[in-house]
Amino acid sequence: MRLLTTFSALTVSIGIAALAATSNPVQASAFTQAEDAVKYRQGAFQLIRENFGYMSGMVRGEIDFDAEQFKQRSQALYHLSNIPFDAFSGAGENATDNSDALPAIWQNRSDFDAKAEAFQQAVKELVEAADSENMRTIRPAFMATARTCQQCHEGYRAD
Amino acid sequence: MMNTLTIKLWDGFIRSFHWLLVVVLAGLWYTGGDIDYIDLHHQLGLVMLALLLTRIMWGIVGSQSARFSYFMRSPIAVWQYFKAPFKHEYVTHNPAGAYMVIIMLALLLSQAISGLFTDDAIFFRGPLAHLVSNDMVRSLTRYHKQAFDYILIAIALHLVAIFVYTVMKKRLVGPMITGRKAYPENAQVNQPKQRHGAFGLVLLGINITWIFGWLS
Repeated sequence: MRLLTTFSALTVSIGIAALAATSNPVQASAFTQAEDAVKYRQGAFQLIRENFGYMSGMVRGEIDFDAEQFKQRSQALYHLSNIPFDAFSGAGENATDNSDALPAIWQNRSDFDAKAEAFQQAVKELVEAADSENMRTIRPAFMATARTCQQCHEGYRAD
Repeated sequence: MMNTLTIKLWDGFIRSFHWLLVVVLAGLWYTGGDIDYIDLHHQLGLVMLALLLTRIMWGIVGSQSARFSYFMRSPIAVWQYFKAPFKHEYVTHNPAGAYMVIIMLALLLSQAISGLFTDDAIFFRGPLAHLVSNDMVRSLTRYHKQAFDYILIAIALHLVAIFVYTVMKKRLVGPMITGRKAYPENAQVNQPKQRHGAFGLVLLGINITWIFGWLS
């Protein structure tokens, strides 16, 4: 019995290690089809947009500010912030069918990656700002994040 | 100094409209495409919409010189005008200028209306974007970004025309400020019936109120 438990724990550990290894974006992603990578990216961006849009309602005074809700949304955004970018590699490389991704992404890959990182960094700072529960601290961090979206859309996302 | 005949050409509403249009358009240009000013851009766009709507209404019920039926001419008249642009004295817009008014109003109106259907893919959604399909929203957003160039071209043509007229010693800017225009005494011109500009400004106030109530 004990042996079996140890064995299954070992299996799980190996599984986690394997997952950790494949989550590195430099290595081949899990996608075998470009269209799956595109759907994955788009799904992730959709989730980002919905969460960001909800927060924007509070920042722009369309809905009442609720510090707890805002924190939850900012944390969701944090967990999402690196998700779409894995799918621009592997099978997602140069995938532009049914996609707004422009070829410039892969022509200027290092610049694109830098802009993705700027977004992730801005989201990190937004989460920290959300902890203050103070809109005067949150607003500039939120707008800074929005600007990183715009800076990357310009040139890398079809109009 | 030649004797002149002075005519009241532009009522208070037309003059207010013209210069407010300049100010609001400059503000829209400045705030456009900048994420930090998107809400201000939206509100200025609504003011623009109210201005245009009121101008169109004034073009039907306002002073004679502001009415479309008074200054619109046939395309043949435009052709004849270009053959000898400075030969005749015109009260209100000349035949080519009349078409320019229509083009300018159409460009600005389509810009203002398309703005209501835009989506910036970050956090701004125009107040009417939910009424149409996503593809339509994409097309109208693209149009809204591109069409400003057409407006700039129209403004450039407008300024060139004013410059040419100034060189030919015909003043167009003065009457748009004072409302009055001097013609040579022998000019064949009649005083167009004027309506008090205050009625137009009240109409503008009403239009701003309901447009902001509905779309802000």
